[in-house]
This record gives sequence, C-alpha cells and structure tokens, in this order.
Amino acid sequence: MKEPLRDPPPIPLRFLEWFCPPALYEGIEGDLLEQFDMDIKAHGYKHARRRLVLNIFRFFRPGIILRNRFSFQLIDLIMFTNYLIVAYRNIRKSKAFSAINVCGLGIGLAACLLIFQFVSFELSYDKFNEKFDRTYRVTNDRYQNGKLIQHGTIMYPTIGPTMAKDYPEIEEYTRLMPGGELNVKVNDKNYRGDYCHFADEHFLAVFTFPLLAGNKTTALKDRFNIVLSEKTAKKYFGVTDGNYTDIIGKNLYWGLDVQPYTISGVCIDPPPNSHIQFEGLVSYSTLISAEEPHADNSWTWSDMRHYLVLKPGADYKTLESKFEAFSEKYFQGDKVSGSVEKFFLQPLKEAHLYSDYEYDIARTANGKAVWAMLIVALFILLIAWINYINLTTSRAIDRAKEVGLRKVMGAVKSQLIKQFIFESFLITVLAFVFAFILVITLQSSFNQIVNNKLSLTTIITSLSSGNILIVVAVIIACVILSGFYPAFILSSYQPAVVLKGKFQRSSRGHFLRKALVIFQFTASAALITGTIIVSRQLVYMNSADLGIDIHNTLIVQGPELSGYDSTFIQRAESYKHALLQVDGVVNAATSNNIPGNRLGRSFGIRLAEEPSSSHYTMSNMSVDYSFFDTYNVALLAGRKFLPTDHKVNFDDLNTVIINRNAVKLLGIDSVQNAVGKEIVWGGDGTRKWTIVGVVGDFHQESLKKPMEPMIFRPSYGANNPTSIRLKTADTQKVIADIEGIYKNFFPGNSFEYFFLRDSYQRQYNDDNRFGKVISIFTVLAIIISCLGLIGLSSYTAVQRTKEIGVRKVLGASIYSIVTLLSVDFMKLVCIAALLSLPIAYYSMQNWLQGYTYRITLSWMLFVMPVFVVLMIALFTISAQVLRAAMSNPADTLKYE
Amino acid sequence: MGKEYLGEFEELILTMVGILAEDSYGNAIVAEIKDRIGRDVNLSAVHVTLYRLEDKGLIKSHMGGATNARGGRRKRIFTITNAGLAMLRAMKEVRMDLWKLIPQLKIAGS
Repeated sequence: MKEPLRDPPPIPLRFLEWFCPPALYEGIEGDLLEQFDMDIKAHGYKHARRRLVLNIFRFFRPGIILRNRFSFQLIDLIMFTNYLIVAYRNIRKSKAFSAINVCGLGIGLAACLLIFQFVSFELSYDKFNEKFDRTYRVTNDRYQNGKLIQHGTIMYPTIGPTMAKDYPEIEEYTRLMPGGELNVKVNDKNYRGDYCHFADEHFLAVFTFPLLAGNKTTALKDRFNIVLSEKTAKKYFGVTDGNYTDIIGKNLYWGLDVQPYTISGVCIDPPPNSHIQFEGLVSYSTLISAEEPHADNSWTWSDMRHYLVLKPGADYKTLESKFEAFSEKYFQGDKVSGSVEKFFLQPLKEAHLYSDYEYDIARTANGKAVWAMLIVALFILLIAWINYINLTTSRAIDRAKEVGLRKVMGAVKSQLIKQFIFESFLITVLAFVFAFILVITLQSSFNQIVNNKLSLTTIITSLSSGNILIVVAVIIACVILSGFYPAFILSSYQPAVVLKGKFQRSSRGHFLRKALVIFQFTASAALITGTIIVSRQLVYMNSADLGIDIHNTLIVQGPELSGYDSTFIQRAESYKHALLQVDGVVNAATSNNIPGNRLGRSFGIRLAEEPSSSHYTMSNMSVDYSFFDTYNVALLAGRKFLPTDHKVNFDDLNTVIINRNAVKLLGIDSVQNAVGKEIVWGGDGTRKWTIVGVVGDFHQESLKKPMEPMIFRPSYGANNPTSIRLKTADTQKVIADIEGIYKNFFPGNSFEYFFLRDSYQRQYNDDNRFGKVISIFTVLAIIISCLGLIGLSSYTAVQRTKEIGVRKVLGASIYSIVTLLSVDFMKLVCIAALLSLPIAYYSMQNWLQGYTYRITLSWMLFVMPVFVVLMIALFTISAQVLRAAMSNPADTLKYE
Repeated sequence: MGKEYLGEFEELILTMVGILAEDSYGNAIVAEIKDRIGRDVNLSAVHVTLYRLEDKGLIKSHMGGATNARGGRRKRIFTITNAGLAMLRAMKEVRMDLWKLIPQLKIAGS
C-alpha cells in the first residue's frame, strides 16, 4: 500500500532555520517533527501540517529571535572596523572626488530640506482645526447672460442658516463678514491697524481658536460683544501676566460708534498657518437689529462668508449636487438677485493652496507653485545622487584590486555589497552633516525670501510619527539604491582577471553613465529655461503699461474718526487744496478704493432704453473730480468729472463715467455714442444716471486678472484714502509737510501712509518668491551638474593619459586632442539640451496659463538656455581637458 | 530564597525538568504537564522558558544521542542543577511557612 504523504512542508522549516539561532535549531526542529509525527497518527496529515506551521510561527518570538545576536555581532564588528578603515583611507586618497561627492550630495540635501520646510508649512494650513476634515467653505459662482461674472466666496447671509435647515447632514454652520479696520478707543487711547471679522456664535465651534478667557459658546452671542486675540488684548489692556479674565466685561469704543463694545473673550492669536486671520471678532448679531434685519434675512446683500461642518461620514459631493435645486428653490433663476447662483463646497484643506476666488479673505498661495518647488527640489536631490553613482562607478577600476584580493581571501559577494553600501552610507552621513550646516547658516536668508519664520526644529517636532517613518524610509532607500549599483558592479569582478593586471576599463555601465549625464543636464537646461521665462514674465508684469500711473503716488489713509456731514465735501476740498500748496505735490484725489484692490461689483446695471429684465455687472468705484488727472487715466470721450457733479446728498448724484470695457459690455458701438446715454443703476432698478465720459481701461488689479467693465460715480466718503502724486525729489520732507496738513485738518486721527507702487507690487509677492526660489535652484542644479562633470571629465582624462601621450608623440596637435576629449561630453550635453526643450515648453506654457496678460514664448527663450548650458559644460571640462592635452608625453609614457 | 524571582510558569517547567530527570526535553515536558495537571501548554513557550532557566543557571542542557525518530534530529536534554534544586526547595518552604499562617478554621456565614 502506498504510504500517505508524510513529509513535513519544507518552506516553514526553512523559515524556522532562517530566524532560529543555529545552536538551538536542531533541538527545536526535532521537537517539532516529533510533534508532527504524533499529530499525523492522531489527526491526519492536513491537520498535522497546519499545527506544524502554526507552531513554527509561535517560535517566531523575541525569546528565540533575540538569541541570535551574540554570535553574529562579533564577526560583523571585526569586518565593520575594517570597512571603516578602508573607507577612511579611500576618502583620504581621493580628496577631490570625495569632496565633490559630499558637497554635491550635501547641497542637494540642503536644498531639499529647505524646500521641505517651506512645503510642509504650506501644506499644514488649517490642520490645527479639530474639525478640519469635515469643514467646508461655501463658494458661489454667478452667471449673467450665460457668462460667469463672479467667482467668489461671498454670498447672502441667508445661505448658511437655510442650508443647515434644509440638509440634515450639516452639523454646524458659521457665517462671518469682514469687519474691516478695528479703530478703537480704550481708556481714552486710540489704536489703529488691527483687523476684525463679524462672526456668529458658531464660529468658535467650527474653528479651533481656544479661548484664554470667556465662554466659548456665548462669547459671540450677544450684540456688541467682541473677542480679542491675545495680541490685541496685550496691546489694549497691557496684560502681561497672561491672566485675561480681568478684562472680560470691560468696554471699548469702535470707530464713531457711540455704543460701547464689551470684551466677552480672549482667544489665542490665529496661528500663521490659518487661512483666516484676525485680531478681533465682533459678534455677528451686532449687525442685526429689529430695524435693520438685512444681515440676517437678506437674499441680495452679499458680503457674508459661510462655512459648514458636515456630520461624520457625510459626502460633500453628494451635498453639493443638491445645491442646484437649492438655488432654483430660493433664487428662481436670476429673479431674486439679478444673476443665476451656483453654490459649491470647498474642503478646508484646499482653502489655502487652491483658491482663486474673488473677495477672498483667505491667506492664499499658489498650490501649483508649491508642488513645482517640491518637484524641483527632488530633482536636485536626484541629480546629486546620480553624481554619486556616476563618480563611484567610473572610479570602480581603482577598487578592482581590492575587490580581487578580498575575494581571494574568501569574501563572498554579499559581503562586498555590504561593504560598498556601507561606504555609500558613510558618504551620505557626511553629506547630511554638511547639509545641516548649510541649512542652519542659510536659514535666515531663506526665511527672508519666503517671508516666513521657518526652522528645521519646528518642522521636525511637528511631524507625525507616520511622516517621520516615511522620511526615514526614503533616506534609507536612497542610501541603499545609490550604494547598490556601484556595489553590484564592484563585487562582480573576477579576481583572476583583476589580479593578473590585465583588467581594463570595462565598457559596461557606459550607457548608464551617459544616460545619467544626459538626465542631469536635461534637468539643468529645463530649469534655466524656466528661470528665464519666469523672470521675463515678472519683469513684464512690473514694467507693463497699466493704463494708470502708479509711480510716485503716496496713499494717505482716510481719517478714521471723521463722519460724513453736509460740510464734508468742503472740508475735503480745502484739505486737498492745502496739499497742492506743498512744494513737491503735483495732484491729489480721494477715492473709495485704490489701484491694486478688488473693487465692489454692481450686478443690476442696464441702459435706460433696455427692458428691466436685462442685467449687466460692473465693478464700481467712487472718485472725486481730480482722480483721473491724478492717475493720468486717458479720457476717450466726453468729459471728466467736474466739481459741480458732486452733490452733498448722495441721492442727488446723477452722472457717471464708464470705461471702454463697460461700453463694450453694454453693446454700444463706439465710445462717442456712449456719452449722453442714460443708465439705470441702483434704487431698486429706478435710479437713472447719465454717462458723461468714457475713460480707457486700466489694470485695477494685477496682470493675472482681466480688466473688467468699470463704472465711476462722483462721490466723497468720510474715510476715503487720498492719493497724492509727488514729484520725485525729496519725499521725506514732502511727507512731513503732508502730515502737518493732515494733523491740522483731522486732529486726533492717526497719519498712516504708504507708496502705491509698493502695495500694488505686493500682488506679485507670490510670483516673486517663486521666481527667486526657482533661480536659486537653477544655480544649485547647475553647480551640482558641473561638479559631476568635473569629476567625470578629469577621470576620463586620467584614464586616457597614455592614449594622449601616444597621440602626441605621433604628432597630434593640442587642438585635436581637446576636441577628442570634449566631443564625447558635448554630445551628451547637446542631447540633454534638446531633450529639455519640450519639457520646458510644456511646463512653462502651463505656468503662464495662470496670467491673463503674459509674455509670448519666442524661440529665442529656448535657444538661449541651450547655448548657456553648452557654454557652461564646455567651460567646466576645459580645465581638465586642457591639462591632459598639454601634458608632456615624455612624463606620461616613461613607464611604458 | 535567591535574589532571582521565578514566575509561576518558570517554576512549573523547572519542577518538570526535575521530575523527568534524564528524559526531559521540549515535547516530553509538554506531554508531562498535560498528563499530570491537564494543562495545555505551548511548545514554543516551553522552549523559551527552558532557555531562560538555562541563562539563570537553574538547569543545564546537552544534546542526546541520535535516533531514527524525529527525522534523525537529536534531542536537547535538560537536567536540573544544584542551584535549581535549591531554588525549588526554598520556594516550597516559603510557601509552606505562608500556608501555616492562614487561619485553618473558617466559620461559615461570617
């Protein structure tokens, strides 16, 4: 009879052999097999096999595994010392190569670390909020005549409460409205320059800004309550001991409001990585009263921001899909608000990096640029690592004899691989030390560029353990990968061949080495192209004709404590008149907004001759009659405002000026024909205005934004800033004079000023930062690539010393030898430069999409980098090549 | 009692090594425990404990002779050392002393 299967399964036993200490193995295996045999008799083969496997796994425990250590460690320690000594000698023997390796890797790592800090800060936005994952911002697109006219975060105060009522998956909502400047009087002292929001009582439940004093649930409930940030509490009340409970219940006065505001809480300062920033929160209910309930129930007033917290497990896309019905139900097409309303949800995690909304209160940054920087940093690191691999393999021949001898002495391949990986580990550690030194020394200048207070320690301590694991794993993987290839090449040498002295440079790895050089220079050339294009675009934006003159324009903030009354226009005019008397002042104008800021929009404008169902949207601005002269805005038709257009009573105003885009929007065929036409604007669709003039389009906002249809009305406002055009000369003295006049006219108000150009250019902060970082990286990439090229070319030159000697003896000229040596490298660099073209073209085309007004990509922009890369490469290898070419054949050949 | 503390399981294994004398190896101990006190113990746990006791010097081990059973693998035979015996004895005495201190008459219901 055939014996049933009796053999124990081999794989589990091999596993046991692998982890079990050899000394114990026989006894344990014997016991297991005995048990196995008994189980077969008692329960059959299948059952026995299962028990055996289970038992083997039970032996996989610390009590057994840890007994392995003693025997192994000893052997390792001896070899380890030897590896260390050999590595040390090798580094000393070829100082230049080691320096190139360590510097290249170190620079790459340092760049990576700096960018990593920056990127992880940008990605950390709003994560401190406890309900971060479930919080969404409601956004609103408006359409008129089928066209998108507003893409914003502002909407009607009813949206949040109505949605919360209609959709049970909403756990909580909060609404807020920017409250503007917090000009407050505390204990008869005035403070200016802090900003606040009106926020409802849910705000502190949706967002995590813990209160240091006061009650979280009631602090923002009652009217005229205000929650101060820690900073403002210290500033207003001089609290130094961190005890804020005493100031709860105290009063302050805001602006011209006679009603005191009561301090109901003190919260922590919003962290720098919060997309909402404020210095104070005023209770939203302050806006609502029995006579003025619009802030609570209006379907047309749109200044409110809404945030929703969804219940755990609710899908925001599902909720979003219900908004179409919501809009239809409450807005009935464009019947309620004059435009078709669409609502969306934006996850809080996208608020900082992926917002392109108008009227956004969020601190935003360009997510694409952040990722681009990270990718570029990783590229640099990759280039540096490639250098390492390249240099090590190309120098493999130097180590060939050592490898041969080790093999003869009994070293096996795995030991050699271990040795070379250990060496690469050592170089990497040195590079890390170098990188850390670099990061520490460069930190402050880097912080200046990115305008942030970053530091390595805060980033490291803020990392979650999971992220640390990822970082460590990446580093280890890199070390092993960079060490593996050289180790593999080196350890495969045949001792017999190597030790006989017949060993020649192998052509193996040639292809790889070439590919690596091509990769490096492709990256460098693409980066150069990118840098040139980015800087061109920046220059273009900074010097473009805006259609408006912002140079030498001083902006003086309006008096915060003056109110509008029947004499106000008179006062403002005499103030302006006094300013014009100052030597150095060319012109002055007041307006409710200044260039560089997003203007308010009016949605219900139409020509008086059109039916009342048509709506057009324009940005509006209130200006005085000298505005267009002060800013040198071109007049295309009609006239500018005259002093007679101004009326004390706002309701008496009846003249407007529009810009060319507005003429187009209204469908009027020429600017001349627009003059004299009547339009309807405001007053519930009844108020008529006459167009008296048409001005040229100008860039109210940055060149990233399109120029919009604009409408101007001739009016004054109590807190309007004054724009003052100066002659260049001595601004210091002029400003002092202006301050004197200001103090004269508006005693008790604080004098605050800035230059318009500075504030206008601030719109490009993000772009300038990107430009700077990208150019730094380009320089780094070039340096690292060149380091690699120096190493490689000097090595080839040394390799071919004898060949060069023979050639020279046979009559080769220095020129022909230089060509011979450079041509190989230049070929690679040429290929790299060509490869970089499509990459650079595609990515830069993509980048430029973000700008409404942009440079055109000419072929020169791409040819130049190719040329630059070639020159740099040629220059880099020239020193090595020349030295080799000029060497005396008598010296190089004398041992042959 | 010695300065080393012995756990309940360790004491059990040590006792078994003493009982089985020249035939105490992993499987035999598992079987003996099953026979005598009806308790299922795990082979790996027994092995780990045996090695720990060996580290403490309470037992020592040597390889037994080759046999045809067990796939030709030899047994690792454990024997108790004098220190081990002394440890067992000391523990027993301590326990007896403590046992005597328990009041032997219990009045029901109190």
